[in-house]
Parts: sequence; C-alpha cells; structure tokens
Amino acid sequence: MSSGYKPDILWSPHHADRYVICDTELSLYRIGPAGSSETKAGALPLSEETAATLLAINSDTPYMKCVAWYPKQEPECLLAVGQANGRVVLTSLGQSHNSKCKELVGKELVPKHARQCNTLAWNPGDSNWLAAGLDKHRADFSVLIWDISSKFSPEAVPAEKVRLSGDVDSGLVVTKPLYELGQNDACLSLCWLPRDHQKLLLAGMHRNLAIFDLRNTSQKTFVNTKAIQGVTVDPHFQDRVASFFEGQVAIWDLRKFEKPVFTLTEQPKPLTKVAWCPTRMGLLATLTRDSNIIRLYDMQHTPMPFGDEVEPTIIERSVQPCSESIISSFAWHPSAQNRMVVVSPNRVMNDFTVFERISLAWSSTTALMWACGRHLYECTEDAGQGVAAAEKDIATKMRERAQSHYGHDTVQVWRNHVLAGGDDPQLRSLWYTLHYILHCSYTENVEQKQQSNKQSLIYSGIKNIVKSSSGTTETRRCWSGSDRQTDVPWYHSEERSLALQLCGWISRGPDIDVEPFLKSLEQEGEWERAAAVALFNLDIRRAIQILNKGASAEKGDLNLNVVAMALSGYTDEKNSLWREMCSSLRLQLKKPYLCVMFAFLTSEPGAYDAVLYESRVAVRDRVAFACMFLNDAQLPRYIDKLANEMKEAGNLEGILLTGLTKDGVDLMESYVDQTGDVQTASFCMLKGSPGEVLKDPRVQCWIENYRNLLDAWRFWHKRAEFDIHRSKLDSSSKPLAQVFVSCNFCGKSISYSCSAMPHQGRGFSQYGVSGSPTKSKVTSCPGCRKPLPRCALCLMNMGTPVSSCPGTGKADEKADLTRDKKLAQFNNWFTWCHNCRHGGHAGHMLSWFRDHSECPVSACTCKCMQLDTTGNLVPSDSV
Amino acid sequence: MELHILEHSLKVASIAKEGIQICTHGLIKLAFLPSKTRCKFFSLTETPEDYTIIVDEDGFKELPESEYLSVADATWLALNVVSGGGSATSSQPIGVTKIAKSVIAPLADHNISVFMLSTYQTDFILVRERDLPMVMHTLSSEFTLLRVVNGETVAANSTGVTNGFVKPKLVPRPIIHPLSSPSNMFCVTSLDPDTLPSVATLLMDVMFYSGGAKETGGQSEDSGHIRFFSFSLIEGYISLVMDEQTTQRFPNNVLFTSASGELWKMVRIGGQPLGFDECGIVAQISEPLATADIPAYYISTFKFDHALVPEENIQSVIGALRTNESTGQ
Repeated sequence: MSSGYKPDILWSPHHADRYVICDTELSLYRIGPAGSSETKAGALPLSEETAATLLAINSDTPYMKCVAWYPKQEPECLLAVGQANGRVVLTSLGQSHNSKCKELVGKELVPKHARQCNTLAWNPGDSNWLAAGLDKHRADFSVLIWDISSKFSPEAVPAEKVRLSGDVDSGLVVTKPLYELGQNDACLSLCWLPRDHQKLLLAGMHRNLAIFDLRNTSQKTFVNTKAIQGVTVDPHFQDRVASFFEGQVAIWDLRKFEKPVFTLTEQPKPLTKVAWCPTRMGLLATLTRDSNIIRLYDMQHTPMPFGDEVEPTIIERSVQPCSESIISSFAWHPSAQNRMVVVSPNRVMNDFTVFERISLAWSSTTALMWACGRHLYECTEDAGQGVAAAEKDIATKMRERAQSHYGHDTVQVWRNHVLAGGDDPQLRSLWYTLHYILHCSYTENVEQKQQSNKQSLIYSGIKNIVKSSSGTTETRRCWSGSDRQTDVPWYHSEERSLALQLCGWISRGPDIDVEPFLKSLEQEGEWERAAAVALFNLDIRRAIQILNKGASAEKGDLNLNVVAMALSGYTDEKNSLWREMCSSLRLQLKKPYLCVMFAFLTSEPGAYDAVLYESRVAVRDRVAFACMFLNDAQLPRYIDKLANEMKEAGNLEGILLTGLTKDGVDLMESYVDQTGDVQTASFCMLKGSPGEVLKDPRVQCWIENYRNLLDAWRFWHKRAEFDIHRSKLDSSSKPLAQVFVSCNFCGKSISYSCSAMPHQGRGFSQYGVSGSPTKSKVTSCPGCRKPLPRCALCLMNMGTPVSSCPGTGKADEKADLTRDKKLAQFNNWFTWCHNCRHGGHAGHMLSWFRDHSECPVSACTCKCMQLDTTGNLVPSDSV
Repeated sequence: MELHILEHSLKVASIAKEGIQICTHGLIKLAFLPSKTRCKFFSLTETPEDYTIIVDEDGFKELPESEYLSVADATWLALNVVSGGGSATSSQPIGVTKIAKSVIAPLADHNISVFMLSTYQTDFILVRERDLPMVMHTLSSEFTLLRVVNGETVAANSTGVTNGFVKPKLVPRPIIHPLSSPSNMFCVTSLDPDTLPSVATLLMDVMFYSGGAKETGGQSEDSGHIRFFSFSLIEGYISLVMDEQTTQRFPNNVLFTSASGELWKMVRIGGQPLGFDECGIVAQISEPLATADIPAYYISTFKFDHALVPEENIQSVIGALRTNESTGQ
C-alpha cells in the first residue's frame, strides 16, 4: 500500500523556511543556506546554495489522503490530515506542546459514513473552520465544514458501534459538522473564495463546479464541466480559478462562470498538481504524472477583464528542476520569487528557482530595455562626446546624419560625406564617386546632347567602361622634365580617360592634366597621395617638390624629405644598388602611398601587383593607375577581380567600379547587410540615372525602411524632406492623390478644378486659397456652385482664408516658399475627423485641439484628436 | 432534482452456482483489475440461488459463453438521481425511500419494469433501453433529465412522444409476493480502491469459495441465515454488502464504516423467481417504507429482490408491509 503513495510537499504558510513532506508519514524540514553553521551534518543538499534539515517526523496518521496546514501563526505547526476513511485528524509536528495546541492535537473529525477524504481547506477568515471534501455516499453529504474548536461529542455512540473504527478517545472525536453540503455527490476538490470567506468553491463528481454560500446553502451557482479536479484560486486575481481534469486545465472567471475563459493545451498524461505562483502574477505551474518537467503558463498578457471571444495569449514553457528524476510533487515558496521545492518519488528534494522570462525591446533610438522578474534594465549608448564616431551605433549615426541634412546636398554632391561627419573613408569615396558621375554626366549632357549611350555608360561604372574600351593607344612617355624615354608602356583611350575622370584624377578634356587634382590634394595636406599621383604621371620632379612641401608644411613629417631624397636617386638601371635597396626597404615604409611609389619604380613594366593589390591605397587611385599602365587584357581582369572583392566586402569604394547598376545594388546590399545603413543606400541609389536601379525591390525596401525609421524617430519633417527629395529624383515615387474632397450636393470632387494645386493627398486636401483675385471666390463647389461646408469654428464657408493673406501671385509663390508662407497656407487646408465628420480650417482645428479633447461642434462628444494615435506626439526634429 | 441517464449499456446475467468456476477468470479481472478492461460498471451479487452479474458491454465480453450463464434479453440503462444538494437541514430519507415517490411509483404507474441496484454511494435504477422514451416522458415533469454522452453531461430532451401515453389511474399497490426476513444482519460498506489489492484474496474467498464455508456451518442456513454478498465496482467506486460475520474477517480500518456502525436486516421478496416483466414490485415495497420514512437499500437480482432496512426498524417494516399486504387482499 505504501508503495502507491507519492510524496507531496506542503509549505508552511508563515515560516518561509519550513515545509512538510507527506507520504506515509509527515516530515518537517527546515531549509537554510548550505554549509552555514546552522545546518547540521545531516542536512540534505537541495541545491548549490541551500540544504534542508529534518526537524520532526510524525507517523501517527496512516492512510493519509490529504493534508492542510493551519493558516494562523499560532499554533505554528498544526496540520489537518484527511484519511482514507474520511476522518480528519488534527496533528502537529515538532512542537513543544503548548496549551492551545495540545487541546487541538489528536482531535478527530468523523463523518457519519466512512469514505475517502479527498481534500481539505481551512477557512482563510475563521481559522476554526475546516472544510473537508469526501467521496460520495448515498445517504451523506460530501462536504463537511467542521469547527475544530467544537467541544461537542455525542455520548450517544455506543461503545460497540465504534468497534469497526478502531479505539479512539471519544473525548476528542467530533461527529457533528457545522455545515453539510452536496448530498449524494462526491467532492474532489474545494477551496474557499478569498474574496468572501463565506463562499466555497466545490468541484464535485457530477461534473459540476459549484459555489456555495454558507449564509444560504440552498442556493448555489454551478456549472457543468469535466474539469473538476484541483480547483485553485489565483492569489493575485481572486476571480480567476484554475481547475483540471486528466490532462486539461480550465481557467475560469468567477464573474463569468458559465464556461471556462480558456483551456490550456491538453497534456497526454493526467495532471497531478496545478498551482498558481504566489509571488508572481498570473503564473500557473502544472505537473503531470511520471514527468520530469513542470509546465509553466504565463498569463501575464491576458487582457483583464477577459475580452469577448478572443483567446488570450499565454506563454507556455517548461522547466526541468532535476535533470532526470521524475517529479512527484512541487510547492511554490510562499515569499521568495519564483522559487519552488520539488520532490521525487524517492523523496529526493530539490530547491529550484524558475528563471524569469526576459522580455526585451529595442527602442527606435538605440536604447535597449529588458525586464527580468521585478527588475527593469536599460542599456543606452554612451551619449558623451568622448565616444569615437566609429563606435557609435549606426542608428545614432543615421539620426545625426538625418539632422545634418545628409544626402540632401545635390549641388556639391561630394559634400554629403562632410554632412555625414566626414570621418568615414568609404562614404567619402562613395560621395566623390557620385559627384564625379553626376559631374561627368552633366557636362556630357551640356556638350553632347545626343550621346545618350555614353550617358548611361557613365552610370554603369568603370568595370563596364573599360570593357567597352576600344582603340587603345600604347605610348612610351618620357619622364617629364627630361628626354629620357621610359620603358614603361602607357595606355590611352577615350574610355580610359573617362575612367580617370570618374576617379577624379583629371577633369573633363582630352588632355591628361592632373595638376588641378594635385593642387587640391596639396591643399588638403595629402602629400603622399599627391606625390604618388604625380609620380604615376611620370613627373618625379613634381613628386619631389610635393614631398618637400609636405615636409615643410605645418605639422609636416620631416621624413618626407628623406623620401624625396631617395626618390631623387631613381635610376632605371636594372641591377643598381638603389633598385635593390628600394625594393626591399620600401616594405618598411608605413605610409602606403610612399610604399607604392617605390613599388612602381622598382617593378618590371606590366607587373604592378605591388601597387594594384596594396589595399591601403584608395581604390580610385589604384583603378586610375591601372587605367594608365595595364593593357587591354590585364585591365578588365584586374577591374573585375577588384569589383568582386569590393562586392563581397561591401566596400562602398567599389561603387566606382560597379556604378549604379545591378552590380552596384549587389555591392550596396552587402554593405547594408554589414552596417544596416539604409540611409546611405537610399540616398545613393536615388542618384541612379535612369531609375532602373530604383525599381530593384531591394532598393525600394531600403527606401521604405529608411522612411519608416524616420517616422519611428518622429523625424516627420525629415521624412517629408526625404519624400520631396525622392520625388524629384524618382518621379514614379510621387504619391497619387488619395483623398478627394467631394461636394455634398453634386458629389463631384471640388479639387477637380484646381488639380494643379501642388499639395494633395495624405489626409488633407488643400483647397487653394492663394488670395489672388482670380481664385478668391472658391467658397462654392466648382461643379454645382453650391456653398462648401462651414468651418466648425469660424463658421465661414470653407475656402475662406483664415486670415488675411498677402496677395501674392502664383508665380511668386513657387519661387518664394518661405516657412511662414507655407504655414499660412496649411492653416487654410480642409481637415476633418474621419469619425464624426466634423472639421474646418486646419489652423483652427489645431488650435482648438491644443486645449480641448472633444470635437468643437456642440453636442458632438467625439474625441477626434485622441483617435489619431500620432496626433498627440510631437515631432522630435526641427522644422 | 436531476435525473442522469448514464451511458452504460448494461446486461443482467445469472451464473449458476455450479458453473461459477468457468467464469472466475473474467470476474476477477472485472472486480480487481479495472485497468485491464474498459468496463466501467460491474456488479456481482451472490444469493443462495445464483450469482447475478450486472455489467456493461465492455465488461460483458470478459464472460465466457456457457450453459451456466443465462442473460436477460434486454439491454438496460442506469438512471441515477442527483439531488440539488442544497438542503442541508432537512432530514435525509435515503436509498430507495428517497426516490420511491418521485421515480419508482411513477414508473410503476406507467407499467415500466425496473431493476434496482443500491450501492454504498448511490442508487441505480435500471430500465430497459426500449422503455427509455416512456421513462423520459414519465419523469420529465419531476426531473431535469440529463444524459451522459462520452463523459459529458448534456441535457436530454424528451422525444416529445406524448401521444399514446395514457395517464394511468393511480391504484393502490398491494404486495403480492411473499416476503421473508433472514436472521443475519448486513453491513453496507465500501473501501478505498487503493487498498483493494490488499484484501483481494479475502474478497475472492468470500465471493467464490463461500460454498465450502457454508457447508461447515451448515446449520446456519436452517436457522434463517442467508448467504448474500454483493460487490460492485462502478465508475471507480467500490461498494460491498455482506453479513456481519463476513465483515469480521476484514482487517481493521479497511472497510468504511459509519460512525454509528449501523447494521441492516434483509427483506427478501418473492417465492418464485420474479422474472423481468412484472412491474411495480419495487414500488410495492418502497412506498410503504417512504410513508414510514424508513431508509432502505434495494438490490434486485436475477431471481429475487432484496430490501435492506435498519435493524432497529425491521419490526415496523414487517408490520407496515404486512398491513399493506392485508389491505391489498
């Protein structure tokens, strides 16, 4: 018989460190920190930190079916034990028998007819009351409410009649219950309702859950259900009750008792225990038979009060407190958060804390919040100025760039990299590339209007340009300033020249004149680069001059003089000491441009790998170099290889090679994948000439994402600016009018006649009130001449200007769209609530809702502005 | 009050005493190994004449076909009365007494034959499946009818066949069958299903090997003692009816006994086997008891009916029934 008993665990209601394990006997344990002086040698380890000490054992009560712990502080360790024959015995554990306890311990509460006692519950209010749920008997009640302080003990019971029930001290036997409920029925489970201590929730045999009120026991509220085992009230939400049946848990709302609010997913095995967590809202733990996991249901997000038919969301997860062993029972710790002790069938106990689910959310502004248990953590980017730009999150960078109008400089395109902060070499290269592309295509346009072929070639990148190259001439140029012929072949063609233009080395024209470029480099202090470019153009003297200049410049590097000296010793003799020393020592030079200079001078003609594959040298310089010194076979191969490298690395310098083509989108995709910088991607692709790249779904995706980002940051003005910028470059993105104002009388659109108006759609429809004499009479429908509705505030017909507007003509208006002007125009717009359909001048409406929440029309209680979720937010960017 | 029509389709069978050994395998399985069968309703009652088995269709498959096994041709349905439960203060007439006026008498009036099985936990009224529309019609005025379908209790709506059901005249019901009252006293009890394995051998001995025991105390039969034992396992609940001597053989604290330790005396109805078609027998007995407010158990078997009444009331019961007998004649 004892083999069938599985240990159950019961936590003391008042002593957070005591619990009882009950199987065939009752054992009281105290839980404490492991290894502390308090714990004795016999302590059982429960976890790494805690151990339990056995305090007392009570084996006086055989055939235990259920146990309930007396809810009051005193007497401390009084337990009610329900037995298989229906008797309820009061017993205690490890108590020095004080007077109060002594009186109660050993008391037996005996039902008229013996049957199994299924459940016990102390009344939370009147602690003398103990409810016992019994199996059914044809002639008896299944719920008996005992008063343990009752002294009544019928003497009438003849001695021989108690012979079957064993010998008991009849003085301690109580046979008259206070209340009897549920005739001809079984009670499988019961609990007192915490909201009203006179009420009792019973789960009975005839598939009923019933609520009895002891003040009027003839009335009951009941509901038919299978889920009649183990009713338990949520301690945090006293109208919520869980009950189970086999593998199914039903959650009830006592206020809507007709049917379960929802049922949890059915488990294949029957449930043995269901318990609400006392320390956390809405967390239900369930255990099935022969299982080693405890399933947790988090009803945190259940809407309360429960909605109509909507299934609430429940997060289900399971925990495995002790790796392999089967769990016999568990009990939540009464006060420590999410902590429980589990016990296995062979009485191995385990102290276990359910780790709280972490919920995490990114804000749109790089901050990260997460919540764990009762703690809320925030992780924000260090906003201090000391943070290096490179370490900043891309979102922060994008926000800063959006505020500095990044991408909007369409005249000096290269300046955009300065707007972006000017510290990113890739962006710098990208914007210079775009600058040169646009510059070339512009001048091309001006000079040769017909050459649309060439026009598109400019956008297609150097990779395609050099492929189309034809008629390359090979010359051997002299070192400038000397007649000495070099043995270096030098290539030239129209396409190569275009490529050099795109690299920024030369400006428009047939001549290869790098002098302006050198000048600009000198200005920027890029001495080494300038010297290298000069050298690649076979002008050693200029190179030396530049280096000298660099050495003498403010904060100049004196080493440049040494380099200049080395350079001046150049000799084209193959076996000279100079050559030998330079080719080996150049590798020790830290500056890449100085290094490639000597590499160039010491290389065999046509074998410039040391220059071409020096990754620290800007791509544009390497490409320009290749365009001059590689032949028609080598050049496309090199460019292809480099382009693929760039594409894989997502390096924006590669845009020079790929241009704004599908290849370029591939490259940009890889860049966005790495950085998330949709801003640069959007602006860059918008510059694409015929708009083919804009049709690429990836590009559309970047643009939409960027717009959404701006919206999320509440950068609505920036979003609008971007939209305007976008519609200028990509006319197909111009949104069509979505809202039309139709006349109440004839139903025709009133904006029909003034469709030339620039602002349409997006919820507002401007009705032009420019104040010009020809347009002043627009307070009536152009179709039927009936008056337009009146503004709810000024009661003037719509179309009437809000205030006197300076009478400027239409032509001026476009030229002079000052901010004040635009605002004044906006004030005249129609606006109306989509809910109550009242409205008027936008300016009036705005000022009304600044102080009011209800519609200005009297007797209309519509809270128009609150219906607009974004209506109460303020933009976080400046206008 | 609610009347639950349970979903078990029941067979009532009789096993002759001499043929019991061929059925023991099935019976032991049904009684002690409920997890091995799908049977939810099993009752075995031993009388001096035979063993009466009431079992559902799943359980019936466990019994062998045999010449010793006779089966009543009909399929039976069990009805169970559930009181609203509220009346905590009212005195409690129990068993058939409680339902005598509300269920048994109306059914008798409509000539519906019933088969009673009282257990420790409740009373089952068995009616033939074919009589169900009539039963529902008869009882729908008094009860909320609920039908158990696949474990769910659903409202059973009366089929609405009211035509042709004539409201019968209420006639006094005289007792027409001879009554006898054995001298031994009985105990109606139960035990915790968890403890069943520990007393299984004892129960088997009582069930199947009582013949030998009876022979040793052979003279008890003559002195008015009757061999009567009933075991039922219905929806997980065990109910036992045995005489006082038999209870002594059980260990302490295994049997559920009432605090008052009440004992019951038997009234045995019928001189000749009663058959299944005659109606009104239960009503004849239970109505006078209800009038006198005497609690009673009632167990029908294949051949005879048995009522159990509290020992202290036996004289008044006999008296009441005799009066009824005489008024009938």
